[in-house]
Amino acid sequence: MTADLTGPVSPAIPRSARTGPAAASITLAQVSKRFGDNEVLHGVDLTVRPGEFVALVGPSGAGKSTLLRLLNGGHLPTAGTVEVLGRNPAACSRRDLRELRTRIGFVFQQFGLVGRLTAMENVLMGALGSLAMPRYGIMTYPRRLRDQAVENLERVGLLEQRFQRCDTLSGGQQQRVAIARMLMQQAELVLADEPVASLDPAASISVLQTLKKLSAEDGFTVVCSLHQVDLALAVSDRVVAVRGGQFIMDTPTAATTEQDIRAVYAEHGSR
Amino acid sequence: MLATPTRPDARSAPPGTAPRPPRIPAATWAIPLFYLGVTLFGMWWIDIRPGAIAAGLGDIARLLDRMVPPTTGPVPSLLTLVVETLWIAIAGTGIAAILSVPLSAAAASTYTGPRWVQWLCRALIVVTRAVPSLVFAIIFVRIFGLGPLAGALAVSVHSIGMIGKMMTDVFEEQSPQPREAIAATGATRVQAFFATTMTRALPQVSSFVLYRLDINIRASAVLGLVGAGGIGVALQTAIGSLDYRRAAGIIIVIIVLLMVLELVSFLVQRSLAEHSDTSTASQVFVPGKDAATPGWSTARGARALGVAAAVALFLAALSTLSIPFDRLARAGENAGALLSGFVPPVFTMDIAYGIFESVLMALTATSFGVVIGLIIAVLSTDHLVRARALGGALRAAVVVIRGVPDIIYALVFVAALGLGPFAGFLALAISCSALAAKFFTDALQNIDPAPLRALEAVGAGRLQAFVSGVWPQFVPSFIGNSLFTSDLALRESAVLGIVGAGGIGFLLQESVASVDYQTTAGILIGLVAVVVALEQLARWARRKVI
Ligand SMILES: Nc1ncnc2c1ncn2[C@@H]1O[C@H](COP(=O)(O)OP(=O)(O)O)[C@@H](O)[C@H]1O
Ligand SMILES: [Mg+2]
Repeated sequence: MTADLTGPVSPAIPRSARTGPAAASITLAQVSKRFGDNEVLHGVDLTVRPGEFVALVGPSGAGKSTLLRLLNGGHLPTAGTVEVLGRNPAACSRRDLRELRTRIGFVFQQFGLVGRLTAMENVLMGALGSLAMPRYGIMTYPRRLRDQAVENLERVGLLEQRFQRCDTLSGGQQQRVAIARMLMQQAELVLADEPVASLDPAASISVLQTLKKLSAEDGFTVVCSLHQVDLALAVSDRVVAVRGGQFIMDTPTAATTEQDIRAVYAEHGSR
Repeated sequence: MLATPTRPDARSAPPGTAPRPPRIPAATWAIPLFYLGVTLFGMWWIDIRPGAIAAGLGDIARLLDRMVPPTTGPVPSLLTLVVETLWIAIAGTGIAAILSVPLSAAAASTYTGPRWVQWLCRALIVVTRAVPSLVFAIIFVRIFGLGPLAGALAVSVHSIGMIGKMMTDVFEEQSPQPREAIAATGATRVQAFFATTMTRALPQVSSFVLYRLDINIRASAVLGLVGAGGIGVALQTAIGSLDYRRAAGIIIVIIVLLMVLELVSFLVQRSLAEHSDTSTASQVFVPGKDAATPGWSTARGARALGVAAAVALFLAALSTLSIPFDRLARAGENAGALLSGFVPPVFTMDIAYGIFESVLMALTATSFGVVIGLIIAVLSTDHLVRARALGGALRAAVVVIRGVPDIIYALVFVAALGLGPFAGFLALAISCSALAAKFFTDALQNIDPAPLRALEAVGAGRLQAFVSGVWPQFVPSFIGNSLFTSDLALRESAVLGIVGAGGIGFLLQESVASVDYQTTAGILIGLVAVVVALEQLARWARRKVI
């Protein structure tokens, strides 16, 4: 079903190839994060290899969003070191951090679209990090980026809707627009925070499969928090379970059963 | 008792508890009582007696007699001034709209830059909101010389406060997700602001700016009274030379101009409302010559034309201001002298007296205006009084009376009755009546008529039905709108002294004219403090009631 969404895409050279095959996309070493008196993450370690699709599961309040924000410099760790795409966000100047962020896509539960603008305009905004000035309106973006926006909308299956207001699209379509916007960054790493939590089951699986397919084609790494067990097992290469600010499970998806993950959510879980 | 169940009371008793009569907030009776007290004192201070009003009517009749037949003098020069009035308003509003954007972005609670920048921007918005355009005009005429430049700047500085306040509120109400999403792509804060915050605010901001333009045209019509250009210059000349027939002619020209604009603004607003309906259609653009280029439809053409026309008008308005580049160095010197003359500000008893008189005039006039406005509103609300012809006539009269700037009423009353707060009080009472009548009519139209009909059905009299069926629903908006009216009246009453109608305006103009800038500074500080304090008080009271 998703096979012919591809369109005229240039043959994908994994972007991660630039940094060399050995370099990890993400390395966390003994990372803790504290908000006031509340320590949310307690000294976690994690290595994510380029091209991996990692599902982050765990009950609400476990620290998944906090972890993802640590990865794009939205939060800085209280202790330990974070290395993302070869950079340490804590050591970046504001300018360097912006540069790093252009290489990291972020997909949100709430989409973060401007509802009164068209899908095309929202997608083009994904390229702002590579431009110098503010823009207003489709025609203020260079031809090259407009063509790229059309191509990305086609890849998520929304070519026809490109001139439609985003607030008139369905939830699943809106998340696809947000994914097309993310594609404009040609990111090496994509972080997704509960990207399908606001969608119905059919739209959820279809949006996640699109994300999976794009990551396989373009070779970007994905860390995606999810709370539906079946979805995590369906799309990921590896499942990392967070609970109480610690990783209580980290296994290849092929070797993980639903029971394993359900245990993570159980009232009095293992460990 | 019959009306109690229909009263829209948010704090109705939870189910299961014994019904208690709803608690009436203390503010509901304390505020009217406060106004009553101030009004009685104000009537004594300003010397408002039925006899004085009757005698005044005779004087006004004699003045009107000297005004007929009105003449306009040479028409072309008058038309030039009319056009200049419009340019002043357009330039001033445009400048304010542009400058408000960065100011509001920094003043909003979502701003992440240095705290002191945020507080500076907030302070600028509060101060420029509190000081009326005419006061800025007096100061800018001193800096830039006579003419429309001073007028346009005066209009724009006051509007910065008004538009800035509104924009800040709009920015703060927005959900943060889109801005965060764009910031996460590595865009700069400025890029993220324009892409998400500003684009979302645009519909509300543009309709508010149009509304402000409407108000600024009224304001520009009287800036000439202090030499800041526009049609008011001709009025000032005519009155200065005691040529009352010509003054009457010019006043009529101003009223006609404002009526025409009222109509234009009504038509523009209606077409904008219709346009916003069509623009909610899901397809914003039709397909263009290729997939990445939107095509041209009538709607897009109309949008582009509207924007181009607005930009062209603004640029044309700027070009007519004839900025005196040769004298700009002088202006810098003047501004420097003025600002350094401000320190240290002096506060004298005269200043306190003037501000006190302004407040008293405003509050007393509000009380009279609210009572008269209520009567007019009841008479012109169809479902209360079934007299369509009377209602229509009253509503038309309110529109005309509201169209005339307060200071023109004040001019006429000063000419008829002599200098002093009585003239100012009368002018404010007229404008407050019209304003309150408009607010109250709107509120009464929106009241649920069911309780009224029910009471009439059980045989209650007209007055009984009104008191039990309408009044309880109406009280919150009555008090809220009354407070808002007195808020506007206070700003107006601060400038009426310019034409000798009492209050602080006279001393303010005198202090600038006699280069006593320390007093000017004292007055400005006092005025801002009082306006802001009363505004906060009114806001607090409104929250208590609504
Ligand atoms: N900015 C913040 N300030 C203070 N506490 C926070 C902040 N962000 C998250 N927390 C706290 O951290 C804990 C984990 O939150 P979060 O990472 O959002 O969990 P999850 O995404 O797994 O539901 C919660 O207890 C939350 O209250
Ligand atoms: Mg979360």
